[in-house]
Order: sequence, then structure tokens, then C-alpha cells
Amino acid sequence: MRTRVVVGSVLASAAVLGIAWGIGSASPTITGTSTTGKLTDGTYAGSSVQTRFGTVQVQITVSSGKITDVTALHLTDAEQRSVDISNQAAPILRSEVLAAQSASVNVVSGATYTTEGYLTSLQAALDKASA
Amino acid sequence: MTTSTGVRPGSTSQSHNRQMRFKRRTAASDTMAIVAVVSIAIAVALFLATGGPRQFGTVAASVTSLGIIAGLIGTDLVLIMLVLAARIPFIDHTVGNDRAMALHRKLGKPALYLLLGHGVVLLIGYALAAKVDPVAEVGAMWALPDLPLAFVALGLFLVVVVTSVVAVRRRFPYEFWHVIHLLSYFAVLFALPHELSEGGVLAEGSAERVYWIALYVVAFGAIAVFRFGEPLVKSLRHDIRVAAIEVVGPNVVSLHLSGRHLESLRSSGGQFFIWRFWTGKTWWHSHPISMSSIPTGSEVRITVRALGNGSTRLGMLPVGTRVWIEGPYGLFTDAARTAPKLAIVAAGIGITPVRALLEDSRLAPDEATIMLRASSESDRYLWDEMQQLADRSGAALYTAVGARPAGVDTWLSERDLARGVSLRSAFPDLLVSDLYVCGPQSWTDLVVEDARAAGLPAHQIHTERFDW
Repeated sequence: MRTRVVVGSVLASAAVLGIAWGIGSASPTITGTSTTGKLTDGTYAGSSVQTRFGTVQVQITVSSGKITDVTALHLTDAEQRSVDISNQAAPILRSEVLAAQSASVNVVSGATYTTEGYLTSLQAALDKASA
Repeated sequence: MTTSTGVRPGSTSQSHNRQMRFKRRTAASDTMAIVAVVSIAIAVALFLATGGPRQFGTVAASVTSLGIIAGLIGTDLVLIMLVLAARIPFIDHTVGNDRAMALHRKLGKPALYLLLGHGVVLLIGYALAAKVDPVAEVGAMWALPDLPLAFVALGLFLVVVVTSVVAVRRRFPYEFWHVIHLLSYFAVLFALPHELSEGGVLAEGSAERVYWIALYVVAFGAIAVFRFGEPLVKSLRHDIRVAAIEVVGPNVVSLHLSGRHLESLRSSGGQFFIWRFWTGKTWWHSHPISMSSIPTGSEVRITVRALGNGSTRLGMLPVGTRVWIEGPYGLFTDAARTAPKLAIVAAGIGITPVRALLEDSRLAPDEATIMLRASSESDRYLWDEMQQLADRSGAALYTAVGARPAGVDTWLSERDLARGVSLRSAFPDLLVSDLYVCGPQSWTDLVVEDARAAGLPAHQIHTERFDW
């Protein structure tokens, strides 16, 4: 009986952990609406997004129809820890956006709120640029 | 072969039924054990599924990840502890509330260490990430939303576990300890907001969040229903009152209680209720006491010896006192049997559940052997009734009066020990018997020790504990 418990627990736990590992290793993305429209050159500020750790707003620069820069106008700043997290996440998000040329990029782990605010604001800026 | 219809006591088909019941119980308890272990795996899986594998990139991230995992496992253990303490009938019928509570007690310290570790490790992880020292990080942490409440929760857990450590618990009256222990409900609840708002594991709109909240609902729901709702409804419905008090021996009284529809409580002989007597001096103290006879529709009897201050007063309860109940609880019943023969050993006031068990058992002649112990002639409570029940069911009944010898670990009287009496000599069929033991805790432990030494498997040993 005890063997049954041990074997059952080990197998079931391994299965659960294995599946979770698989899900967690696959890169989650926040999918923005696709930006098929051609981007017009210029500088566009995104919407100001409220998160529980503060406001997030970004600005994009478009030249020759490509996103050439993303500047954070405002990042989560509810307290020192939010500032630390945002300062760490913003450069990662910037380089991913420049590589992907869209708001469909990986969530930065440990910076969920920053990522969501960042990409939402970015999408709004892209919408302006392609209008 | 006989041609009788129905199940005869001691028949092959009854023995078959017992085996089936035992198998079902074992399967159920094994399943519960697996579910508990898997719930721990799921707690870790929640972290992994939300990008966990990618959060070991740096030292700071790895430390932080371990801290989060410790918190998830620790909280899962605490919720398991709540379920174990909820007195869920299914758990009681399967393994018995006493064993569930033994596990509950074992989990207390590991849960606390994990939760303390969760706090300390995260502090270090955050400090590493922010490149400040952990002490400076305490202030930053305190400023996070819902964190002050989480610190309070951790403090409460600490108090609850420390007051429950055996050595500390003995210093306080039971009621004081119990009130402190109720703080654990608040501790679990106060910890919830930060679990939901910090980090991304239980983010809004995620399946992880739904699962986690469901765990809380199950744990608190079980407590609300089985510890509060059901006992209250039963108490009001059955309207139990003290009908008469009968002195059985020195410091021992039988309380005859009357009530409505008591048969629908579906209690078995050998089970107990937790009783609360509503007088000004006794209402705040509830007593786990076995029934000493199986209830009729309108009457039930309990027999109690003055052990603590509270039970001393029970002999002076006025007739008509309102009685509230929780129960019936316990696996010290005929339903728990697994073997063809029955061996019963009882000492002192431990006779009460044994008396009701015997009354409730349908026995073949020579199926049961009973041994009653008393330290002195005046401790032979209800022995006359036991003799009548034994005669009725064709059981052999032996009695042994006399104190245990000083300085020797034995459950026998000095005289029996000198004569070379043992569990095997008293019960020649011991190895094909279910052994039911009830008496003082240390005495019971010695009988069980002897039974195990004689080679009796654990599932054939049945004891009742009152120390919880």
C-alpha cells in the first residue's frame, strides 16, 4: 500500500511538473493587433497606461517605415522596487520590440505589469503611426 | 455450508465484506495521500508554468524564484492542514480524525519553516537584484502593496506554531491555546492579498489564480461546513438535554441525555461526540466523550470520569441543561474490522467506547475475547453490563484487577505479570483478530507495542485517542 502511494505520487507529480515546465519554457507573447499598415515616419507617443505600480507610457520613432527607437516616457514608479524592475525590463523590451518590429514580444519575467503597460502603450503608438 | 439467508456473524461472506471494506478504505486513503503530494507538485507547477524555467538566469533571479516556490509549497501545506482539521466525514471514515490530526501536527513546523524561508529568501533575492543589503530591503518590501498584511500573517503563523509545540502547549490551559490556534484562520486569509497581487504567478485572469482561490474555497468551505455549520444544525435539530445523572463509581458519572431523532445521527457503537454543556460555568469548554451505549431514538448515554476541572463539573449539571454536539466521530467501530476474530482490552474509564462497540457488534459464539483491567475494585465501571453483553454474544470475558508494578513498563497488573500473562496468552487467536484497545494513553501505547511485537499488523489494531 505504501509503495502504491509513493509510486503514484512520484509519477503524478513528475507528470504535473513536466507539463508545467513545458508550458513555462515556451515563450509567452502578448499579441498586439497586427500592424500591417505601413508606418509613417515621425515620432509618436503611446497612450498613458495605468498599472497598480504606476503609469507607463512610451514613445516610438519611425524612420523609413521602420521602428528605429522606443523611448520610455514614464515607467512604473510606485516605490523603489517598481523603479528597479522597470529599469531592468525597459531595455529588454526595447530591444525585443526593435527586433520584432511589433508589440508581439515576450513578457519579461518578474516584470509583468511593466511589460503589459509598455506593450499596450506601444501598440497605441503603432496604431497612430499606421493611421 | 449453511442454508441460512442473510449474513451470519462470523460467516465467510461477512469476512469477505470486511476485506472489501478494508480494501476500499485503503484505496481511498492512498488516493488522498497521493492528492496531497500532487497538490504540492501543482504548487511548484504554477510557478514553472508562468515562465518559471526562465527565471533562474541570474543569482538574484534564482534566489527570488526559490523564495516564491517556498511560499507556494508552504501555503499549500497550510491549506492541507486546514482540510485535515476540518473533521470531514469522509476523512474520518477513511483514516479517522485522530490520524488526520496526527498528520496535521506533523505538518505544522515544515509549513512554518517554508513560510519563514519564503520571507527571508525573497528578501535576499530582492536585495541582490537591487544591490542593497537585505536589512535595507526590509523597508522597501514593507512599502509593497499588501505586504504589511503578509508580515502580520507570518507573525501569526509563528505564534500559532510556537504555542502548539508540545512543551509550550502544556504551559497553557487548553482554551487559551485553542483561541490562539484560531488565529491561524486569519493568518491564512491575511496572506492571500499579497499572493494575488505580487509577482506574476497568480496574475489576474489566469487559470493559476482560479486554482489557487479554489484551494482557499475548499479549505475554508470544509471548515465552515463541518466544524461550524453541521454541528450547529445538528445541535438545534436534535435539541439534546441532560435528562438524568447517575453515579457509577468514585468520580464517575453516567449522563443520560434526551433528544429528538437521535437515530438519524447514524452513530456507531465506539464513536464519540464532542459535547458542549450550556451552563454558565461549562459552555466555553467542549468535551470529547464516547457514548457508553448505543442511542435509541430519544436517549443516549455517556459515562465520564473527572479528569480535568471541566469534567469535574459535569457531575453537577442541572437536569434540562442544553447540550450541543459535534460528531459522531471515530473509527473505533465494527465497520473498521478486518479480521475474523475480535479481541478487546480496556482499562478504567476506557471501557465506555468498548461497551458500546460490543453492544453494536453482531458476533458469532467464541468470536470475541474481552479483557478488562482496573487498578482497584472501585474502578470496575460498567463491568456488570459488559458481563451481560458478553454472555449475550457468547464472548469470553476475563478481568484483571490490580495496580501496575512500579518501575516496569507494562500494561498488566503486578500479579498477572508475575504469572507470565501476555497478550498472546490472553488472546490465543490474536493474530487472526482485530484488537481494540482503550484506556489511558501510556497504557494503550504499551498494549499496542506488545501487539506489534507479537506480529499483529497495524490495520488490525484499533485505538481511540482523546488527547486532541
